[in-house]
Amino acid sequence: MITSTFKLLAARRDFFLGLLVEHLEISFAAIAIAIVFGGLVGILIAEYQKSAKPTLGVINFLYTIPSISMLGFLIPFSGVGNTTAVIALTIYALLPMVRAVHTGLTNVDPAIIEAAKGMGSTKRQVLFKVKLPLAMPVILSGIRNMITMTIALAGIASFIGAGGLGVAIYRGITTNNAAMTLAGSLLTAVLALVADLLLGLLEKQLQKRSVKARKRTKGVLIAVAAVVIGAIVFAAIPQKQNATIHIATKPMTEQYILGEMLDILIEQDTDLNVKLTQGVGGGTSNIEPAMESGKFDLYPEYTGTGWNMVLKNKSVYSEDQFKTLQKAYNKKGLTWIGMYGFNNTYGLVVRKPIADQYNIKTYSDLRDHAQDLTFGAEYDFFERKDGYDALCKAYNMRFGKTMDMDIGLKYKALSENQIDVMVVFTTDGQLADANAVVLKDDKNFFPSYRCGNVVRTEVLNAHPELKKVFKKLTGKISDADMVKMNNEVDVKKKEPRDVARAFLKEKGLLK
Amino acid sequence: MNEPVIQFEHVTKKYGEATIIPDLSFAVARGDFVTIIGSSGCGKTTTLKMINALIAPTAGDIFVQGKNIRDVDHIMLRRNIGYAIQGSVLFPHMTVEQNIAYVPNLWNKNDRKRTEAAIDKWMAIVGLDPAMKDRFPAELSGGQQQRVGIARALAASPEILLMDEPFGAVDEITRSSLQDEIARIHRETGITVLFVTHDIKEALKLGTKVMIMDHGEIQQYDTPDEVLAHPANSFVGRFFRNERHICTMPDDKIGECAYNRVHA
Repeated sequence: MITSTFKLLAARRDFFLGLLVEHLEISFAAIAIAIVFGGLVGILIAEYQKSAKPTLGVINFLYTIPSISMLGFLIPFSGVGNTTAVIALTIYALLPMVRAVHTGLTNVDPAIIEAAKGMGSTKRQVLFKVKLPLAMPVILSGIRNMITMTIALAGIASFIGAGGLGVAIYRGITTNNAAMTLAGSLLTAVLALVADLLLGLLEKQLQKRSVKARKRTKGVLIAVAAVVIGAIVFAAIPQKQNATIHIATKPMTEQYILGEMLDILIEQDTDLNVKLTQGVGGGTSNIEPAMESGKFDLYPEYTGTGWNMVLKNKSVYSEDQFKTLQKAYNKKGLTWIGMYGFNNTYGLVVRKPIADQYNIKTYSDLRDHAQDLTFGAEYDFFERKDGYDALCKAYNMRFGKTMDMDIGLKYKALSENQIDVMVVFTTDGQLADANAVVLKDDKNFFPSYRCGNVVRTEVLNAHPELKKVFKKLTGKISDADMVKMNNEVDVKKKEPRDVARAFLKEKGLLK
Repeated sequence: MNEPVIQFEHVTKKYGEATIIPDLSFAVARGDFVTIIGSSGCGKTTTLKMINALIAPTAGDIFVQGKNIRDVDHIMLRRNIGYAIQGSVLFPHMTVEQNIAYVPNLWNKNDRKRTEAAIDKWMAIVGLDPAMKDRFPAELSGGQQQRVGIARALAASPEILLMDEPFGAVDEITRSSLQDEIARIHRETGITVLFVTHDIKEALKLGTKVMIMDHGEIQQYDTPDEVLAHPANSFVGRFFRNERHICTMPDDKIGECAYNRVHA
């Protein structure tokens, strides 16, 4: 595990380095804002004590909001991406900053303050010449904690499509790649620790009270300020070129692969640049609003998901409603284009020996033998309205026995003959290794989830060359192809980009 | 007699229901060294802090150099009054030089030459080695810290110096030498000093006038000799009993006793 993590780090050095830089940019932006803004608030509430309690109360309350919900609240206002991440991180960084400044300032010996006042200092002079310098050790240790915390917390930024090391962690989790998760976590931890170490040294240097040490401190401070300002400027410069297509994907293995395919093909066949934001947390619910606001231009989506989640239809979607779906999307300024061919829906599989023995090919075939078979599915399939009971009713069948089990254990149960029939997702990578036959849903019980691309119509019109790329991909990927590719990533631990490239090559789409 | 430098007219100070100072009136002439003495809570520190407007009186008027302090800018008022408080409270994050330069820097940051000259002058006057300029307060002895405190209070050459038990935290020998220093500075500069203390010997040794306070009222305000020879009331008498009896003469012959401190 550790070895594979280090191998991965070495092999994909540039990828991780990019994430590391992005992680630092996001963290430093939040840290800089928190130091300035939190510092000001801390000074104000220390000077006007009456406002201290309510202000700290509000900031405390913000601090208690779980980070995931904080991001959720922010998305409607600032969309997905780095801005929201920086805002969220800043909000969390405020509390330690405001606290440190307030505590530092209010704990300065009142006799010293009275001496300064009695000698004729103005309020501002007392603050800047006496209070702040004396509060500095407390403020600095607060800043140190805050920076370490922010760097660690910045890992969640990837949940909303921002960059940073969280991208590696999140991608590792969604593609079942523990080495990737570990590499991302490890780098985040190392970054936080190194930052803490450096700040510790700085803190120590600042506490030295001799003229010589002070001169050196000034040098160190100027260097640190230069680095921070440089980082902020670097982060602030928009690295936007005019013709860039922003592609988003949901946190699912097959979407990572599709994202890479689109990236490879668009860059190969057009002059457009591609910015690929893989695995946006929350999937459709976060990507779709960002598409409408123009933050993303393109993402792979499933027809059934669009029908129910985006258009909020209550009915079950079937592919003869595609025109209605397309029309409703066009009204939003979005277009469905380049249907890949595969359908990632629910499906029933039967152990191969049983299928062979009874010659079961369709759900209807299954009905005659159901009473002798054991049916397995995850818990929620038995609870859903469109789940087990509805299925049995639609096909007028009844299984001899049912077992509910965790989604991760289903395949094991099937291979150990504990269950005979089970519910699967039709593009599940584990399906490739299972000794099972996928049956045909001859009465179309399950809704259709054909995969295609949702593109902003405006972008499509501005860059008609994109249509060629979509045409190339249309109908190219069967369920079996997708199962195989998911299997390569999930089980064989290959990189999504390598898998995507190999598939395109096999299909003769690479130049 | 010239116009008083400091004048209190029917000054009252109350904190809620508690009256600290019921009705206080007195005047301090230019060049006086007034020591204010009394037991804890008698209002002596409050009186001092009302002069540089750190505490506002509830009623009555205070005049400093002829001007009612209600009508002047308090910041400017304070910069013209030297202020040294208990333990002298130096700024721990500043060097000796920066501490002494504090008030001149509040005035004018750009006139470095004048400030440096003032630092050198006052360090010499209070008896500090110029090599100590770059030291921090934590690197100084208690006595040295008091000297820096005095130099800091005097650095802007104020005409009035307020001191609130400045030598409270040093040993007997150091205190004695600091007392000699401040007495000498007073003689040489002609500055007007108000000096709060609870040390009776110190009050008698330093003051050209002694003000004895109790419950916010002046019990007696006169020269040390007069206070010792003719206590205004039994409180003052009790207060100075030990000092009065230094001559070891019996009580009925106390009038004939030459006070040893006067002729020492």
